[in-house]
Amino acid sequence: MKEVLIIGSGISGLTCAVRCAGLGMHATLISPVSSERAQSVMAAGGINAVTAECEEGDSVACHIEDTLKGGGMIAGRNAVTGLCGHAEEIIHFLEGTGTVFTVDDNGRPVVRAFGGQSHKRTHYCGSSTGKQIVSALIMEARRFEGEGLIDRKLRMYFHSALIKDGECYGAILYDEKSRSLLPVFADAVVIASGGQNALFGKTTGTTLCDGYAAGKLFLQGAELKNLEFIQYHPTTLETAQKRMLISEAVRGEGGRLFYEDNGKRIYFMEDIYGPKGNLMTRDVVSREIDRIGKDVFLDISFLDKKLIDKKIPEVRDLCMKYRGIDISKEPIPVSPSVHFFMGGLAVHLNHETNIRNLYAAGECASMYHGANRLGGNSLLAAIYSGNTAADDISGRVKENGHPDFSRTLKEEQDSLNGLLSSKSSFSVMHIRDMLSDTMRKNMSIVRSGITLKEGMDDIDYYLSVADQIHFDSSESIYTNYSLPAILTLARAAVTCALSRHESRGSHYRSDYPETKDDLAYATLISYDNGAYTTRPDKEKIYEN
Amino acid sequence: MKIRILRQQEPDSQAYWEAFDYDGTTDISVAGLLDHLNYNDDIINDAGRKTTRIGWDCSCMQGMCGACAMVINETPALACETFLYNLKTREITIRPLRKFPVIHDLIVDRTLIQENLKITDVYIGKYNPKENEDHRHQYEAAKCLKCGLCLEVCPNYTNGESFYGAMYANDCYLVYARNKEKSADMKNTYSAHFGNSCSKSLSCVDICPMNIPSLASMAKLYRK
Ligand SMILES: Cc1cc2nc3c(=O)[nH]c(=O)nc-3n(C[C@H](O)[C@H](O)[C@H](O)COP(=O)(O)OP(=O)(O)OC[C@H]3O[C@@H](n4cnc5c(N)ncnc54)[C@H](O)[C@@H]3O)c2cc1C
Ligand code: SF4
Repeated sequence: MKEVLIIGSGISGLTCAVRCAGLGMHATLISPVSSERAQSVMAAGGINAVTAECEEGDSVACHIEDTLKGGGMIAGRNAVTGLCGHAEEIIHFLEGTGTVFTVDDNGRPVVRAFGGQSHKRTHYCGSSTGKQIVSALIMEARRFEGEGLIDRKLRMYFHSALIKDGECYGAILYDEKSRSLLPVFADAVVIASGGQNALFGKTTGTTLCDGYAAGKLFLQGAELKNLEFIQYHPTTLETAQKRMLISEAVRGEGGRLFYEDNGKRIYFMEDIYGPKGNLMTRDVVSREIDRIGKDVFLDISFLDKKLIDKKIPEVRDLCMKYRGIDISKEPIPVSPSVHFFMGGLAVHLNHETNIRNLYAAGECASMYHGANRLGGNSLLAAIYSGNTAADDISGRVKENGHPDFSRTLKEEQDSLNGLLSSKSSFSVMHIRDMLSDTMRKNMSIVRSGITLKEGMDDIDYYLSVADQIHFDSSESIYTNYSLPAILTLARAAVTCALSRHESRGSHYRSDYPETKDDLAYATLISYDNGAYTTRPDKEKIYEN
Repeated sequence: MKIRILRQQEPDSQAYWEAFDYDGTTDISVAGLLDHLNYNDDIINDAGRKTTRIGWDCSCMQGMCGACAMVINETPALACETFLYNLKTREITIRPLRKFPVIHDLIVDRTLIQENLKITDVYIGKYNPKENEDHRHQYEAAKCLKCGLCLEVCPNYTNGESFYGAMYANDCYLVYARNKEKSADMKNTYSAHFGNSCSKSLSCVDICPMNIPSLASMAKLYRK
């Protein structure tokens, strides 16, 4: 039986495991904590698909065009066609596994509008779409666990991949229970470790998504893509513990953005872009808020209180609980914050990276969203990519045996032991904090060559310190060993941003404000012995 | 303000209390407070000695993932949703959940929750709903965080060996309602691992951070 090792148990990892098991393979699903704690449970607004429930005039072709257009025309048409073409099937799969969608009186799912869409096609589960999907997928995984086809293992972290001559044979995991490294051999490894939030400190998501796996694999020879494209969500609420997302559903239900000028409300998005202005894509709205430079509010108080209670109760509760704001009476103060990463591991249509038998799925992979992701498309992509990777692995001929990795293992264990036996009062978290300050400042909504170069200098300094510091025993071992790869990923992201001499989607350069037709390509970046090399994907080697 | 925390370096090591002084805003949650203690440069205890950072589980920091369940002033709660201004004491005690093995400080091992659901086949399988079932109730039941707070307060739940607690009732209800072919099985397993031993203290209902109507789940599965 084929063995698949899946790193990360959010929606993408869970889907991949379930699909693998359904195809008669054995999947080992590892993560530090259970799926209930994955960022996927935070997805509120919904999942896009053109189904029988959608408005007249909508079609898969419209979904494809909206996705390509929203993404600044640099996502591959073939990839997006696959994604949108399978969306209906995915909704049916989720319904079939028992996901509790919001339904009409006939029991059919209802749809809402999300930004950048020509038609309403976002299916949702109250205000907790991700959570409801995770709950259903966990049950599916449990079913296959009972059949011996899935093993879910907790308190395990990715350490590195077992790669020889461009082929992956498994991974080294860090096992928190035994505090040691564990080699796991597999016919294929699927990375489903989520986004790169920790580069920016606290974002709308969880800091458990730290980008380490992408950074480490980059050091091991995997190509990364489009790291300059980072989505700032325009409507987040500042609280004492983090910035919290105010779901796009509020604007979907008619919410209006405004600022005050001499006591008068200026509905700037409507003034600039017309009646549908509030639902412009996230990059456009974030940039407008940034440009205005004043306190901006989102108003939904005009909506009938019963509708607020029915359609957006989680937003109502969040504003009340963390800020004492009654959204049925007063507007919500909002500002943009880092929310989603369009960039990540470069993958082919089958979700394999440039390293054979090493796949990436979900937010850690860069594929469908181009320069900007449409709301509701990432849950879809997380599921579609998990399925696609599983299908491809299943179609491969099983190879037997693997090279001898005992030397690699010994070297890695020695290096970890060396780290553990050193002592230092210098905190890993201080460097992580400094990194997030740099990234927030220098990789912000509006960038320039100057700010990016400053950012690069900062990161180079942190990297030089990271090599010197010793083990910080009051942090977890994983937090200690993950630092250099996280810094490397940050450096790669800044390098990508520096290399793109134009503005497109979420990447806006004040020194290159125009979008240039001859730069309508994805950015690829690779690492070799300290050298970071970028190139535009002109041949579309990954996207077609 | 004094913050007393029950600490434990390793799963097998001795637990001990350590106290910290805090004079910041009370407009902050216990999660924010723990972050503040940990990352305000060095971490110093109330005796002025530098100590190790406090281990605690967190992920979403906004009541959606259940990671930060702990016992605050003797009440089990999510740290990210418990605000200091509501605690109304000059001293705050924080300890890990008692019904689960401690891994490190406030981090506990809750894998038994998953294990019990697995060994008793609590999964939907194929959506094949019972008629006239309450859709809203299913939506609420599926929001369970597996945080373990309902197990912590339950007088009947000890170590999860035979009695599985309120979260189990909710998952059983979800399967019962969403796949009618499994409804009889779910009633049976519910009775064996919950219904027959529940003494109806109902402490689980009030404690649930997601306000899941556990009582309604129990009523639906109650076997006449
Ligand atoms: C607040 C919020 C709201 C959102 N709303 C929507 C929405 O309405 N619609 C939509 O389409 N998208 C939404 N998104 C985006 C969407 O939720 C994510 O893109 C998607 O859930 C990602 O799923 P995933 O499986 O790739 O990753 P995740 O769910 O992040 O899972 C990653 C997994 O990898 C594990 N992991 C991480 N690092 C390691 C490591 N080193 N070793 C081992 N395991 C590791 C984690 O523990 C976790 O299990 C939202 C995001 C946020 C933050
Ligand atoms: S039922 Fe409520 S208290 Fe119990 S585990 Fe689920 S969310 Fe937590």
